[in-house]
Amino acid sequence: DALLPAPQRISILSTNMKHFLTWSPVIVQGATVRYSVEFQGEYEREYANGSWIPISECSLTTATICNITEDISATVAYKLRVRAELGATRSQWGTTKGFFNRAMTSLTPPLLRAVAEGHHLLVELADMGPSFQFRVLYWRKGQESRVQQKLMKEVSSVVHLDTMEAGAEYCVKAQAHVEAINRSSSFSPTQCVRAQGDRSMWLV
Amino acid sequence: GACRVSMSMTEIRAGFAAIKANIQSRDPIRTLSILSHPHSLHKVQSSDRCCITYQLFTFYVDKVFKHCRTEDSFVNRKISSIANSFLSARRRLGQCREQNNCVCGEESTEKFKQILANYEGLNVTSAAMKSLGELDILLDWMEKSR
Amino acid sequence: SGELYCSLPNPRNVRFESINMKNVLHWSAPEGTGDGVLYKVKYAVYGVGKWIRKPECRNINRTWCDLSSETSDYKEQYYASVKAFLNGACSDWMETTRFNPLTDTKIDPPMVSVSSTDRSISIILTAPEKWKRSPEEESISLLQVYPGLQYNVSVLNKKTKKRWFFSISNNTLVVPWLEPGTAYCVSAQIHVTTPVLDSGFSKEHCITTLKDK
Repeated sequence: DALLPAPQRISILSTNMKHFLTWSPVIVQGATVRYSVEFQGEYEREYANGSWIPISECSLTTATICNITEDISATVAYKLRVRAELGATRSQWGTTKGFFNRAMTSLTPPLLRAVAEGHHLLVELADMGPSFQFRVLYWRKGQESRVQQKLMKEVSSVVHLDTMEAGAEYCVKAQAHVEAINRSSSFSPTQCVRAQGDRSMWLV
Repeated sequence: GACRVSMSMTEIRAGFAAIKANIQSRDPIRTLSILSHPHSLHKVQSSDRCCITYQLFTFYVDKVFKHCRTEDSFVNRKISSIANSFLSARRRLGQCREQNNCVCGEESTEKFKQILANYEGLNVTSAAMKSLGELDILLDWMEKSR
Repeated sequence: SGELYCSLPNPRNVRFESINMKNVLHWSAPEGTGDGVLYKVKYAVYGVGKWIRKPECRNINRTWCDLSSETSDYKEQYYASVKAFLNGACSDWMETTRFNPLTDTKIDPPMVSVSSTDRSISIILTAPEKWKRSPEEESISLLQVYPGLQYNVSVLNKKTKKRWFFSISNNTLVVPWLEPGTAYCVSAQIHVTTPVLDSGFSKEHCITTLKDK
């Protein structure tokens, strides 16, 4: 096995609760090297004799990336390892340095579209996956002290926020929240829309 | 005591739902239960819930999951997911238990003794697989009593 | 009674079909047996030491048996089993998987009633009731069974073809500031977060706002 070097530069890319293990390819001229990935959670380290669990989707794969999202499914410290395989020859395991906890994932602000339809303020949010909820803040422009909030779980459709006063301008922004790791993203840029109707009527 | 742990019940339920049929099919004993008979969890008083929840999480982490290894890689991965979620939740429950000084009343102590007796009444693999197959009994009770 | 010689093929696909906790055992006839097959049914509360025969489903030729009454305590879980008989021969007992009424039932959509003024519509939603033995028995709303129950409401403006969604926990919704003399179609769905249970959407209830005075 010593002939086949272990994969190097093993790292985890994690954004919005989607986690990927990547590594540098092991080059053997004229041959196709394959890789196998295993993970170990805190439970396995402390209660199951440090056992490792193979990820079948990334067993004997030629790719140098593995989607580990389904297996990193608890908020504990995980270790990952990958080895190269060429026929019967296997390299040593290359293991991630330190631990990975999904609480370290980077969270991006949600994609948001504010819509005014007549007197109605609506919002459309891009789905970010099952782990996500959204905190939507909205207020009438000029009345920044009277911000209202709506927590939303199911998205991918036009959701009604509130009714607006005729001709008035309303602003909306949102942040994503992941209850499993108790963290939120930064806010999306604010968007403002104007309600239908004649404002002059209100200025009299 | 009031020891509500914001735990990803949805994630644990999804993990269990994915392997429920597989795990329960490995438990041929219909006439015995670890968690629900002879005493139902639903009869535990609210003041004892925090304590017995912590005891049950410890029971699963210490005794059950490690004896549930199967020949099925998918099942093993889901069990790992549930086990690590339980470990994470138990840690928070433990912190909460200390802050709230969750008292273990006589009833919950008696109930938990019964659960251990049910467990010890079977060989360890059968007992562990039966306990894992009853995870929805625990989850249903936790949600009902939230 | 001594068991007959059990060489008959087994009943197939023995399972519970449950809607609003009306729990009915269903199965398919044994392969290649044609008419004349009779069945008997038994059930067990999981964890309790005995199987119980269901007299009303003894020597029946239909392939279902309503066990709603026997499985009405949704804090318990259940097994049921079916045996087939034909011309002196019988099959093995064929069991369901473990049935958990709380997570394994399907939920009907809510009832929707809609009224309108010239510029608003009012929607009242009613969650279905849990199955009950008789009309006289006290009704239990599924809202009591699933405390986390919510409603997703869809409101379609038939003129603009724009559809809006509302997610509400209480059962009433008023949508003001609408266009007069316009048709709106409303449908609603029940959503339970944990355990995850969703009904389908109800059929659409359309109503036209009154013309401007």
